[in-house]
Amino acid sequence: MNEDVTSIFQIAAVGIIVAMIHTVLKQMGKEDYASWVTLIGFIVVLFMVIRKLDQLFQEIKTIFLFQ
Amino acid sequence: MDIIQVVGFALVATVLVLILKEQVPMMAFLLSLFAGIVIFLFLIGKISDVIDMLEQLADRSKVNMVFFQTVLKIIGIAYIAEFGAQVVRDAGQEAIASKIELAGKVLIIVLAIPIISVIVETIMKLMPV
Amino acid sequence: MLKWIGASLILLAGTAFGFLQASRYERRPKELRHLGNALLTLETEIVYGVSPLPEAMSRIASSVPKPVSLLFADASARMRETAAERTAADSWSEAIHAVWPRLSLADSEKASLLALAPTLGLTDRDDQAKHLRLAAAQLRTEEETAREEQRRYEKMWKSLGALSAALVVILMY
Repeated sequence: MNEDVTSIFQIAAVGIIVAMIHTVLKQMGKEDYASWVTLIGFIVVLFMVIRKLDQLFQEIKTIFLFQ
Repeated sequence: MDIIQVVGFALVATVLVLILKEQVPMMAFLLSLFAGIVIFLFLIGKISDVIDMLEQLADRSKVNMVFFQTVLKIIGIAYIAEFGAQVVRDAGQEAIASKIELAGKVLIIVLAIPIISVIVETIMKLMPV
Repeated sequence: MLKWIGASLILLAGTAFGFLQASRYERRPKELRHLGNALLTLETEIVYGVSPLPEAMSRIASSVPKPVSLLFADASARMRETAAERTAADSWSEAIHAVWPRLSLADSEKASLLALAPTLGLTDRDDQAKHLRLAAAQLRTEEETAREEQRRYEKMWKSLGALSAALVVILMY
């Protein structure tokens, strides 16, 4: 549980910081860099979520279905 | 107490999702998905205990194991389909959500057909034709 | 424990880098103004004064704040080195190359300063005065754009440095 709570805060912090960097870069005029940063942040978080999802589906397969 | 852990975790996740929702809606969705997965994982352990007990019961009552396993698979399909449909519905994609539910229903029927046919045959054998 | 130390180090480094970039943008308009004033003072010295070039340069170096004063002080020192037998033009060019890392100025300014080198001490007074005034005018227009840039970029770099450092820390937690 504890490491999951940490992960939740990690994701939230990454989201907020990426949003701030996006705003700063957009104000500087480099909007393409801003989009890149947001996209990369999204992909990183997506990887974390997909790892957890894989873990969940493995558990479910073991418990319910034995497929 | 486990329920307190779960509810506390869920509340924290909800607050964070609300904060993120206006800034980066993408991240908010991922965050809620992650929180749901974590809670589900936490529960799977408990569900596994219940299922073990049911398995012992079924074993002792001399029911054919096939029935028990089929019922278990159907329950699993129902859980996963409902989880997926709710998450997708949260993201606003109602169409995809109903397709997921439809898939769940179809797959459950596919699994249940052998049992239904066995039941029908048994009944037909009992009835004088 | 070690993690906290590492994290704060990264945060400090990132923020410091951001502040460094921001300070470059802050110093540039000031240095451009000082440089312009110094060149105009040099023009006055050349046209109306009778002292030789090294002394004029030293006087300017003492009247202008750092780091622009370093340029003139260095040029003056090089010119006084009679053992080396350099021309005034070479002293000026060498001084520019030597002091350049300490300044927050761009290559275009370097080019226009180096363009002054052939005229220093060689052509007649009015010609030198004209070149100096031309260089000072170029610097003034540059100063306007520099102020604009400063307004836009200074605060941005500060926040950017700190935020990127925070992002790296969070990802590596």
